[in-house]
Amino acid sequence: MSVIAVDENPIAENRQSDWAVETHGLTKRFGNSVAVDGVDLRVPRGCAFGYLGPNGAGKTTLIRVLLGLTHADAGTMSLLGYEVPRHRDTALARVGAIVDEPRFHGHLTGRQNLQILAAAREPAARQRIDSSLERVGMTGRANDRVSKYSMGMRQRLGVAACLLGDPQLLILDEPMNGLDPGGMHDMREMIQSFVAEGRTVVLSSHLLDEVERTCDAVAIVDRGHIIRQGPIAELLSGGDVAVTIECSTPETARQLLATSNLGEHVDVGADGLTVSLAAGSDRSLVAEINRVLVEGDVSVYRLELNQASLESWFLEVTKRLGETE
Amino acid sequence: MTTTANLVVEPSTESHRRSPIPTGSMIMTRFMELRKRRGLMIAILAVNIGVPTIFLAVRLIAHAVAPHTYGPAGGSSIYDALITGIIYIFGFIVAATLGCTAGAIDLTEGMFRHLVVTGRSRLAIYFARIPAGLMIIVPVVAAGVIIVSTVCVAAAPSKLNYDGINNVPVGLSRQGFVTWADQHYREAACDLNFNFKGPPSGNVVQCGGPRGNSGPQVIKLAPGGGISSSPATKAEMVAQATKSANQDYRDYSTQFLKPSLKLIIKTGLWVELWAIIGFLIGLGLSSLIGQRTVPVVLLIVYEIILTPLFSHVAISHLIPAQRGMVGLAMANIEPNGLPAVFGGQGGGGGPGGGGLPHALTESTLLAWIVISAWIVIWTGLGAWRMATRDA
Repeated sequence: MSVIAVDENPIAENRQSDWAVETHGLTKRFGNSVAVDGVDLRVPRGCAFGYLGPNGAGKTTLIRVLLGLTHADAGTMSLLGYEVPRHRDTALARVGAIVDEPRFHGHLTGRQNLQILAAAREPAARQRIDSSLERVGMTGRANDRVSKYSMGMRQRLGVAACLLGDPQLLILDEPMNGLDPGGMHDMREMIQSFVAEGRTVVLSSHLLDEVERTCDAVAIVDRGHIIRQGPIAELLSGGDVAVTIECSTPETARQLLATSNLGEHVDVGADGLTVSLAAGSDRSLVAEINRVLVEGDVSVYRLELNQASLESWFLEVTKRLGETE
Repeated sequence: MTTTANLVVEPSTESHRRSPIPTGSMIMTRFMELRKRRGLMIAILAVNIGVPTIFLAVRLIAHAVAPHTYGPAGGSSIYDALITGIIYIFGFIVAATLGCTAGAIDLTEGMFRHLVVTGRSRLAIYFARIPAGLMIIVPVVAAGVIIVSTVCVAAAPSKLNYDGINNVPVGLSRQGFVTWADQHYREAACDLNFNFKGPPSGNVVQCGGPRGNSGPQVIKLAPGGGISSSPATKAEMVAQATKSANQDYRDYSTQFLKPSLKLIIKTGLWVELWAIIGFLIGLGLSSLIGQRTVPVVLLIVYEIILTPLFSHVAISHLIPAQRGMVGLAMANIEPNGLPAVFGGQGGGGGPGGGGLPHALTESTLLAWIVISAWIVIWTGLGAWRMATRDA
């Protein structure tokens, strides 16, 4: 294992860092297999950040390295501006994390499990047990044994455990796993409320739809590499946009749009017209299409802008990457 | 996107989190976690308190109901049997099981990861388990020893039953014991154990036939190998009683109606030390391996098979290794007045012991060095592994 000497660390110890998480060239190997391969990650403070990737992409390994659960083979990292592992204890004092599925002592109650974890934190953590349980809606079941909890309840208890340290940064690994739709909705709202309070939430998931609904920014990881990272809106702005049109005379409409050069490509299908627009096209273009059709005596019944979803964008990006390789 | 104020926690104010010394609340919550393991607690209580209590209760009731058929519930022999036969051996096993549980259960139940993520020193997380476990095992073993001691003292017999002879007075000098044997020559000649230490020679009193019918016979061994027998005379029986009393005096002098306070204290500390060692070895071994079952099995094999085996057999090529066994070291510091644990013939094989030696003895200093080394090495190995393992 190559250990980076403290003096060679490119990350200056910067408490005023804008990044909640920052890594440079972070690498973790298991034998010949590279689980995390030179990852440069920057998570802005105060946002919900999605860390996306297919199963086996190295999401959990990166989280484990960040939290000191396993050692990095190379690279540097900081949490909340504190270089880790040098100031791991200080940084983790304000970090809460669920790694893999949350597991607890089954013979103890939820409250007793939290008491054990609070004892390992600062004395004030014990005062936060009740409020943490209340926050995740577990007050009524806090005195039941964890062995009787459902997966969703254990996830909630895991979040309550994260809150004991009044964290500035929450790292949640697949928090939607095992949750029913109601539970997913509650979890999503909880995450959004954490962000509203100024906390940073890093959400690792392969559920693209959930991440799109919950997060402000994402990083896409595949085979240990980060492919893209940035705000979701920015990333999607580079994706394909299409307009679906339902109208009285589709063929006339197709000819009008073809001569006006408003779309890159126009298809006529059973549902009407589909007009492909250039990546990054403005919404005003949709209004322009409508104006051209109306002035051409075409009655427009429906006009819908279809922006690329995170899922389609992710598939597109990973497909392109696969073709390149 | 909301921007928050930066964290204002200084490393200096949080430096205690790096300390390997656990806080009181870490110890107490770990104690709670272990105490709530119902099956394990039942086993610990059953072995150290339940079995001795039930055994003594049955003896008390039986003696109360039929005092002529069933002897007193307490006394030295019962004390010896319960201490060396139950609490010492099985107390070690349950203490080791507790240690193995404390060492591995956070890993196997997924809590170790949660604890590491708090930023608390891994060593502090590990070391919190030691006082927490000892807070369980030490009082339970003490309670077991106190119950056994109390009953064995309070319900001790008023006369000694020695080698099947009732009402033998206790605390006699060698001359006093020989005199008593001469006065009770018939019982002493027939019942006191006599070890020929080689081929029998001279006249030997044998009491094979039913006394009162044929009576004791004296077997006369002629120098040429011929044997003849005839009814033993009083003088022949007195001579045999004197020989037997002289030979048995060392064993007789260790017999008491009840354990002394000094013996109880020494025994209590000795048994506690063994339980503590069991807990610490279990803790270290399971932390090293990362699971509970295999270490428990290994320690049971060590306690039930290997230690007795190597206590009784000195294998020339393995003597240094045998001397390094903690079970043997413990046997060598066994208090005077107890029978040798693992079925030996007398308490304490070593210089500090009062009985006949084990196959392999060692000095008290070496025994303490071995014991200390086992404690330090296993605790250290467990701590090292917990500090370095992936969580």
